[in-house]
Amino acid sequence: MQLSMTFTRVWRPAAVIITVLAATEILQRTGIGPVYIPAPSSVLEKAISSRAILLENLGPTAGRAGLGFLIAAVATFTAASLAAVFRPLYGVIYNTGAALHSLPIIATAPLLALWIGTGAQLQVTLAAMACQFPILVGTIQGLGSADAQQRELLIVLSASRAQTLRHLLVPSALPYIFAGLKVAAPSAVLGTVTAEWAGSERGIGAMMLYALFAYDTATVWLSVIATCLLSAAGFGFWALVEKLTDRTIDETEIAN
Amino acid sequence: MSSDINVGRVTAVFDGRKGRTIALESVDLIVKAGSFGSIIGPSGCGKSTLLRLIAGIIPPFAGSVTIGGEPPDAIRRERRLGFVFQSATLLPWRNVRQNIQFPLDIAGRGHRSQEEAFCTELIELVGLKGFENALAHELSGGMQQRAAIARALVLKPDVLMLDEPFGALDEITRQRMNIEMLRIWAESHTTALLVTHSIAEAVFMSDTVSVMSPRPGRIISTIQIDLPRPRNLEMMRGREFFNCVNQVRDALFMREMPRPDSDSQVETL
Repeated sequence: MQLSMTFTRVWRPAAVIITVLAATEILQRTGIGPVYIPAPSSVLEKAISSRAILLENLGPTAGRAGLGFLIAAVATFTAASLAAVFRPLYGVIYNTGAALHSLPIIATAPLLALWIGTGAQLQVTLAAMACQFPILVGTIQGLGSADAQQRELLIVLSASRAQTLRHLLVPSALPYIFAGLKVAAPSAVLGTVTAEWAGSERGIGAMMLYALFAYDTATVWLSVIATCLLSAAGFGFWALVEKLTDRTIDETEIAN
Repeated sequence: MSSDINVGRVTAVFDGRKGRTIALESVDLIVKAGSFGSIIGPSGCGKSTLLRLIAGIIPPFAGSVTIGGEPPDAIRRERRLGFVFQSATLLPWRNVRQNIQFPLDIAGRGHRSQEEAFCTELIELVGLKGFENALAHELSGGMQQRAAIARALVLKPDVLMLDEPFGALDEITRQRMNIEMLRIWAESHTTALLVTHSIAEAVFMSDTVSVMSPRPGRIISTIQIDLPRPRNLEMMRGREFFNCVNQVRDALFMREMPRPDSDSQVETL
């Protein structure tokens, strides 16, 4: 039952991907395809032959993105809680988050590199900057999502502020927070990769840049795929945590 | 234990964008300890506001509210007040038992064995035995409201506020819930105050029915209901019941409805 449901959900996208890959492969083999699109088989070959290099670069990117994400999450949870408790801070916090989010990372990275250097601190900072806003919006929205009667219930029960936060505001915020975390995880990866372009010895972004200059399209594509997989892993991690914690969502509702 | 509810010359105002609205004007209301009172009136007459004032959720602009001689805030802090809302307002991440225990958790008495035993008793009283582990969305509207009633009773309150608790239910379920509510109330020995816009419901449930008029909200009449208790559906067919219903209706429509004995126009209707 569970297995057949998974199959039904997966087979359509899988069929599309396989068709596209097969078509690309045939086009390349027959010599019709352009040079900048390598045959999927050559990317696979590259992945196997240079897997040591791939892992060497994947590790730092994953670590920086993860650390940046963690810092962003802690900072935004704190900021959103403050905004929920002290109304005057609401606008300041929301606007700061929005302003940081609208900075173009590709231009900010070299500027920031001049101030704090091109080490891991640069990528971690930019990863945090790239992913903070969805978490902030989700948390603020979520903490405000309890309805009027639920709030009145807590007033009738003479609940303290801490009890209201713990028993009502945080549990009702969780679906929103998870939505924010799921959107933010790929952003952290993309932020890191972009930051690595601004000068980094290691990382998927560095690998991508070197391969670009060497016209090594197979490696460029390999780094693109690695970025996608890392982003998807971040998303999948939070989707899994959400599924494990949330028991209010009906299984049958998801299936439909 | 029960306490009487005493509302003296209470005025409530709302400051909105269009200026100040007087929601309640000089309202007097007494519900005797251990009795069942109701407030009836058209939508927007301020009856829910009055209930929230008595529960201390919102403060009065002028006048006083006391429950057993004490202000509502004190009653709430001592956790002697139960409130059933229009919608069940169950917490969706808690199951039925955890929802009913919620007030105990907030009061810090969640895990005493005598409280847990009382919880089990309440679950049986409201007819939810076998559904202890169900989540709110797995229950029907009537069952959700029963859980909400059990939750309001778990702290053994002196006063029980009912804000149109059965308004969202169908007529058939509603009559059943009315009978069950009366049975539960009789066993819990609390003072109950029901807000409703159903004349039959108000008469069937109550010892006194207070009729409100809108803009500004004020109590225009209080009608004594002397039907014997325990009440049953059979009484709803009797002459006495009809008399009471007509009294409430007369009070509600005093201005629009010509009285049969005083107006000859009725003849032509």
